[in-house]
Amino acid sequence: MIDFSNINPKSADLDELTPENTALEIKNLDLFYGDKQALHNVSMKIPKGKVTAFIGPSGCGKSTLLRCINRMNDLVEICRVDGNIELQGINIYDKSVDVASLRRRIGMVFQRPNPFPKSIYENVVYGLRLQGINDRRTLDEACETSLRGAALWNEVKDRLHDNAFGLSGGQQQRLVIARAIAIGPEVLLLDEPTSALDPISTLTIEELITELKKKFTVVIVTHNMQQAARVSDQTAFMYMGKLIEYSDTNTLFTSPKQKQTEDYITGRYG
Amino acid sequence: MGKWFKSGTPWIWMTGGAVSLSLIAVIGLFLLIGWRGLSFFWPATVYEFSMQNEQGQQSVLIGEIYDQEHVLKQQLIDGGVTGLEDYPESLERFLIKTGNREYVDLDFQWILETIIQGKNIAHDVVVFERTKNGNFYGYLDSINEGEQKLNLDQDGLVDELNLRLERALEFRDKEHGLLTGDIGRINNDLDRIRLKQRKLELDGELTEQKIAEFKASSDALRAEYLGLESELFSYRDQAKRDSVVVKDMTGRLVTMPLSYILDFYQPNDMSFMQKVGHWFHQVYKFVSSDPREANTEGGVFPAIFGTVFMVMLMAVIVTPFGVVAAIYLHEYAGKNNITKFIRIAVINLSGVPSIVYGVFGLGFFVYILGGSIDQLLYPEALPSPTFGSPGVLWSALTLAILTLPVVIVSTEEGLSRIPSTLREGSLALGATKSETLWRIVIPMASPAIMTGLILAVARAAGEVAPLMLVGVVKIAPTLPVDGNFPFLHLDRKFMHLGFHIYDVGFQSPNVEAARPLVYATSFLLVTVIIGLNLAAIAIRNNLREKYRALEH
Repeated sequence: MIDFSNINPKSADLDELTPENTALEIKNLDLFYGDKQALHNVSMKIPKGKVTAFIGPSGCGKSTLLRCINRMNDLVEICRVDGNIELQGINIYDKSVDVASLRRRIGMVFQRPNPFPKSIYENVVYGLRLQGINDRRTLDEACETSLRGAALWNEVKDRLHDNAFGLSGGQQQRLVIARAIAIGPEVLLLDEPTSALDPISTLTIEELITELKKKFTVVIVTHNMQQAARVSDQTAFMYMGKLIEYSDTNTLFTSPKQKQTEDYITGRYG
Repeated sequence: MGKWFKSGTPWIWMTGGAVSLSLIAVIGLFLLIGWRGLSFFWPATVYEFSMQNEQGQQSVLIGEIYDQEHVLKQQLIDGGVTGLEDYPESLERFLIKTGNREYVDLDFQWILETIIQGKNIAHDVVVFERTKNGNFYGYLDSINEGEQKLNLDQDGLVDELNLRLERALEFRDKEHGLLTGDIGRINNDLDRIRLKQRKLELDGELTEQKIAEFKASSDALRAEYLGLESELFSYRDQAKRDSVVVKDMTGRLVTMPLSYILDFYQPNDMSFMQKVGHWFHQVYKFVSSDPREANTEGGVFPAIFGTVFMVMLMAVIVTPFGVVAAIYLHEYAGKNNITKFIRIAVINLSGVPSIVYGVFGLGFFVYILGGSIDQLLYPEALPSPTFGSPGVLWSALTLAILTLPVVIVSTEEGLSRIPSTLREGSLALGATKSETLWRIVIPMASPAIMTGLILAVARAAGEVAPLMLVGVVKIAPTLPVDGNFPFLHLDRKFMHLGFHIYDVGFQSPNVEAARPLVYATSFLLVTVIIGLNLAAIAIRNNLREKYRALEH
């Protein structure tokens, strides 16, 4: 049994982020499912316009942490959160925050592609229609921009009004990304977006992620360390609900400071 | 043997056997009622029997063979029949439909094979369908125009009768159109003027001037009515102009005005194709015309209309209620013991005997709700009730409660089958819970809602017991939908195929005449239910295709 009690995850550069360069700041976050504590005192700053990856073995709490950022955990009745997550200085767990408008600012893409049973076009403009935008031209433009942004436009431009279920898994996942970016979020959360996809689709999505960070702050959860190394600028390693180490990706993979991190990335456990 | 058991083969045979048994039962029932019901419309051969009874009296009987059976001689002797000593143990007897109800003691007669001396196909025999007293069987003798007998030979007689019957039917149609059209409208308008006047009187706003106005408009309507009435009588007289003289089986000449005759045909002189055509014609008449003679003759159109209309009204009522209740139970209610208890209570509601719902409907909907509506909205019509008496709306509401559990249960099942990833996807795009429900969850659950509706319709269309308390009648003079304002008369009583079966089969004065109608009506009811279900299933499959759930 390894003792983690004296671990103090810190990363010099990331601590020196100015408020302008910080997209999100997580402060002393604890999360409980009923009596069971799933996250222990997590604190980290997520820089703007970068790709941040969460890695760690299954059940380490990386998806839970991601779902805290847009308050998806609210859906779980027995879930209770202590601590703050600040988006531009405002605590998203504050009572005055409207969850629906928060989720418009923090988009999310899930593990399995989940297009709605509608046409490709309607899928993309779903979020806009929710905001009451029904002007045909605005929607058409947003649809094209988003599909281009998700590198899907060329494949579907001739069948925008076909059912989205007719697309392949990789295309569906890019459609879901297009749907998320159509409403112009500031942060994009990707929860193991390639785990249900074949290697070629995975590659397309990874290329897409590097494009996306030009416009959005991207947070990605992945169980695939190579993927984290390929796409992310900084990486957080989590284990058993604790943030073990968080630094820029190169440092973390080449010279990890914590032994647990080194054991994990060299494949000794997890 | 042990190996055979282990292989699972007996299990397969057992399950397969159970399925075949159910199938045989369903198909058998359907074929039985279909065959017995539909063969009634086939033009049966009319025979002429020459008979001699024990006393040596000769007689002739013309009619269709309606039924035949074997009886034991001993049974007949015990029943008082004499002169059977020389005959075998078992004898055959025939049930003959002779028609001519007003001229014979019994229009269905059992005759024993022993007294039949000859049986011939009666050529040239004519079967008349009449508005009163059922069919008439006989030979054409002549046609009269007024008192004047027309000079025609046998072949010319049939053609002439066709022409003249067509003319008479035209006048009857005009008469009917006048009764249901203009005269119906005038009656309706007069009634509304009376109610308006009464309402003003109740409100204390009735002035002399208003009374004069009402009187003027109702007098105008009455004058119009008198004009229409004389038109009506002239149609009646014109329809009565011609009459046909027919020789019946006793050789008596019977004169019948054409205004009483609906149709005639010569079953023994028809080719097969003519018989097929006649069969379709008769089936069409059965489903499209009104019943006559205490429902034992004529068609069942009002009952078909009433059944379909009531069921659709019920579907319109039960769907929103059931869906909303299911959404609350599944989406909003806390997942605790109270919810569980409510759910169990809802499921158990479908086990309550339907007559209990009928009593509830009568007590609550008709008397309390309907009575209050009458007090509030139709005080001028009191003491005669408007909504305070059984009617199609209350029937639909009662059946809606009866079928509510089915809709709730299947909607809930549909809601729980929707993948949570889709809800999350919608929420993650900034949708609220209710937006997600409206845009994603309910459309995707719509096939399950339709399934609930299919089950509800199947149950409601076959339900009779509660309806007898809350709105069904033996004969409804008008349909719940007509051309008079406000066009939809939800307060009216209606006819129903299920009740029609009960009424014709068990309340009718003429059991033999009614029997085939029971089969035909049952077949029709089953067909209507299947039709409603097929329509709903088609819609459901369409929806399923549209909202095909995620398949990974």
